Amino acid sequence: MRDATTCDVAIIGGGIVGCMIARELSRYRLKVVLVEKEAEVGFGTTKTNSGIIHPGHHTTLDTLKGRLVVKGNQLYDTLQAELGFGFRRIGELVVARTEEEVGVLREMEELAHQKGVPVEMWDQARLRREEPNLSRELIAALFAPTAGVINPYELAFATIESAVLNGVELWVDALVTAIDPVDGGLRVTTRDGELTAHTVVNAAGVFSDRVAAMVGADTFRILPRKGEEYMLDGRLKGLVRRLVFPVPNKVSKGTLIIPTYDGTIMVGPTAIDTDDRHDVSTSPEGARQIFDLVRGLCPSISERDTISEFAGLRAASDTGDFIIGRTAVPGFYNAAGIQSPGLTAAPAIALYLIQQMGEDGLALVEKERWEPQVEHPVRFAQRSVEEQRALVEADPAHGRVVCRCELVTEAEVRAAIAHGARTVDGVKFRTRTGMGRCQGGFCTTRVMELLQEELDIPFHSLTKRGGGSWMVTPMGEEA
Amino acid sequence: MFGRMNRRYDTVVVGGGPAGMGAALGALDAGAGKVLVLERDGEAGGILNQCIHAGFGLQYFREELTGPEYAERFLAQVIDRDIDVMPSSYVTGLAVDSEGTKQVRVLNERAGLASIEAASVVLAMGCRERTRGSIRIPGTRPAGVLTAGLAQKLVNQKGYLPGKRVAILGSGDIGLIMARRLTLEGAEVVGVFELMPYSNGLNRNVVQCLDDYDIPMHLSTTVVEIHGRDRLEAITVAPVDAHLQPQLDKARKVPCDTLLLSIGLIPDNELARQIGIQLDPVTGGPVVSSTLETSLPGVFACGNVLHVHDVVDYVTAESLRAGGFAGEWSREIRRPKDSIQLVPGNNVRYCVPHTLSPDREHTVFMRVKQRVEPARLRVGGLMEKTLRFVIPAEMISLKIQPEMLDRFHGDRLTIDIDPA
Amino acid sequence: MSTENYVCIACPIGCPLELVHEGDQIVDVSGNKCVRGAKYARQEFTDPRRTFSTTVPIEGSNWARLPVKLAAPVPKDRILEAAQAVHQLRVQAPIRMGEVLARDLLGLDGVNVVATRSLGRA
Repeated sequence: MRDATTCDVAIIGGGIVGCMIARELSRYRLKVVLVEKEAEVGFGTTKTNSGIIHPGHHTTLDTLKGRLVVKGNQLYDTLQAELGFGFRRIGELVVARTEEEVGVLREMEELAHQKGVPVEMWDQARLRREEPNLSRELIAALFAPTAGVINPYELAFATIESAVLNGVELWVDALVTAIDPVDGGLRVTTRDGELTAHTVVNAAGVFSDRVAAMVGADTFRILPRKGEEYMLDGRLKGLVRRLVFPVPNKVSKGTLIIPTYDGTIMVGPTAIDTDDRHDVSTSPEGARQIFDLVRGLCPSISERDTISEFAGLRAASDTGDFIIGRTAVPGFYNAAGIQSPGLTAAPAIALYLIQQMGEDGLALVEKERWEPQVEHPVRFAQRSVEEQRALVEADPAHGRVVCRCELVTEAEVRAAIAHGARTVDGVKFRTRTGMGRCQGGFCTTRVMELLQEELDIPFHSLTKRGGGSWMVTPMGEEA
Repeated sequence: MFGRMNRRYDTVVVGGGPAGMGAALGALDAGAGKVLVLERDGEAGGILNQCIHAGFGLQYFREELTGPEYAERFLAQVIDRDIDVMPSSYVTGLAVDSEGTKQVRVLNERAGLASIEAASVVLAMGCRERTRGSIRIPGTRPAGVLTAGLAQKLVNQKGYLPGKRVAILGSGDIGLIMARRLTLEGAEVVGVFELMPYSNGLNRNVVQCLDDYDIPMHLSTTVVEIHGRDRLEAITVAPVDAHLQPQLDKARKVPCDTLLLSIGLIPDNELARQIGIQLDPVTGGPVVSSTLETSLPGVFACGNVLHVHDVVDYVTAESLRAGGFAGEWSREIRRPKDSIQLVPGNNVRYCVPHTLSPDREHTVFMRVKQRVEPARLRVGGLMEKTLRFVIPAEMISLKIQPEMLDRFHGDRLTIDIDPA
Repeated sequence: MSTENYVCIACPIGCPLELVHEGDQIVDVSGNKCVRGAKYARQEFTDPRRTFSTTVPIEGSNWARLPVKLAAPVPKDRILEAAQAVHQLRVQAPIRMGEVLARDLLGLDGVNVVATRSLGRA
């Protein structure tokens, strides 16, 4: 337990929204604390996000999300240069099968022009030339070059690292259990200690209505919506080069083909309402739904190519829009109901919220020195042979391979731990150990040994992702 | 010598498990002067090091050894014969120059990213386990769902249990062996669940790993859901019908904190794929000629990277042959081109090698698609043989003599295994 | 006359064995492809025994555990007891393959615990 402390701003929730707010606030002379219930940031909705940076022409301007998405998209190039996460603007295609669907594309094209989103209408010939493996039945596509793919967890890790570098305090394993009005602000009680803050930001994702209810600011409800995703074998790299969306309708619910940043193709997500805020299970129905739909877009994709599957919960609200800003409770702000395109909008959400906080009297005095850069992780596998040679010469730990499927070196794993990884998943999502075909069969033991060594904790205390996710138990006599 | 690596070799072997060591010895026997074994792990021996149970070497060493003993004895021979073995060395690429010389790019902490020249190369990288993703079990993704091989490594090399109450999906040998290992170490094994109506492991392992410890095996049963948030809490199992479809109305929940997957092995062929070697979609390994040469001239393959074997002695026998041909190749000896295509016929899932030459004896390994008891094996019109039973889990080894091929003038030879 | 059915565990082939007996008297063994099968069936009928492999903690090596085996089988109903006895052993590197770490486990003649690999000092 930590000692009780005070701060200017407490942010509840270390998903991408909370992390972005923390980093933006770190520019100012404020004491900021981010409290996260999991062992590491980004382990909730962020980790299971589809990782798409949307161009912004799927949402209209009459919603907050429709307004923040375009701005958010534009902020990503600077962020990438500063934070070094995996991000590439690969472009997206919304594909039409019928003349009626082409009509919808034209409406989207019109909306794109209104919002200043660059788009291009492609006829069948162009579509076939650019993406020859898509279904022959597709007759047109709306191409949006500013769409990108991103590794969302890398973004969360790099963002919090930057925030911490600039003075933000991070509390993990710190589930918030109560928030009470006290003199000078709000007292936030967590599993890891107490914190009195002048301003509290609720960025608690699927739990944000419950956090809001702790101070009586629960003017909304979160209706979690589950999405299943299926990761396909690396062999299929290059089959589809751009994001491929069907024309939005009731059945498709936005299921698409995602050539991820690392090239591996992912298909999904589903959209199923659930009452259980921990329900990240996958289902045979989900798989069937996704593959039936995706086969219609790209006939050579098969369920048999799946190497892993996962599910996440979108923190959709009953208002259908983002809920960002001040509440009836002085000093308490929401950044809630963040569903798609929340990842894209996140940098803009942070700016929008902080502007309001400033208007309400939070002293936004810039620090004399603010460091935008973090050290970019080295991805050995992505380097040229010459660069690899230089890397091993500089650090022999690059000559020791930990993950053979994704070619991750010991130096990368040690760096990941030095930069904040505390769990097997923390290493995995920073370095890709265990993300390949063998799914950790070969490297898990070595990753655990390195965690044990670097963190100086017993082997059997290591977890997959914190909490009760223990990995091993001592044998007989030592138990 | 252990830990030595020069710049130029006659034959370079990728992988230092039983296949790699066998290939190195085979190459030397065939006259290769300098042979190098590259091993990605810190020591040679491959997966044998974690297979501490007995059952290896009955054919090669004429006695029953444990995995580590088999590996150590083999390594002693390799070192004795002055073969270089380089551990902690990961091959990142392989290129062939216009002269046909191979450049093997290898990553090692002391040598950096080195380039090794070789006249011939043997691929012997072994296999990996199928994972949860490859059979797509629905449910949550808690800690405690792992492959049997990873569990074996944790128990036998690290000295930790993967859990206390363990269920096993799949009756492959590693799963059966682990059922016994975990029981001996004090864990409770609640049962083995097998999709097929028969065990996929050796019968003797069912006896000495399950029956001896009263561990139940549930045939025609599979896991249909995984439960638990942080750590596995239970699995739902259900019997399957004749089409292997789960009967969900008969499903039941089995509390456990660990699920081991023993659901099959796949050749680990990233390197072969990367350099464009032709692969057989059925075996998952390279297409090879009767000299165990891949589609890339001078590059050979053997052991579990070629196709998954049941017994290490078969691996050794095959590797000695592959190494022999690789050694000959390095001396610029070329065998006649194969003239006969071997075709898997009725109930034959695959056969290796893929082609034959009528000039010498061949060992053909094959697997069936379905259990047949008794079975008649027919090689074209050339020979017939009755087998007591055949099952997909047990590889069939067949010797084909040159005299037999003398009488054969076609270019395709079909192998059928039908009910007798 | 009655029969007992066994699966031979002497080698990977796993012959299905049939043992015919009259009370304690073995009349016939069939189904075996080699002599070891017949021997196994007789042993299994009169005094079933098993051997096993396990590991013991080792100090001073890069490895945490040393793999070991029993040099001779123990009665089947004493396997767990034998395993527990082996697990009490503590060894120190270096160890050579074949080294005997304990003799006559549980007082059983010839049931020695043998190292199945060499492990040098870290």
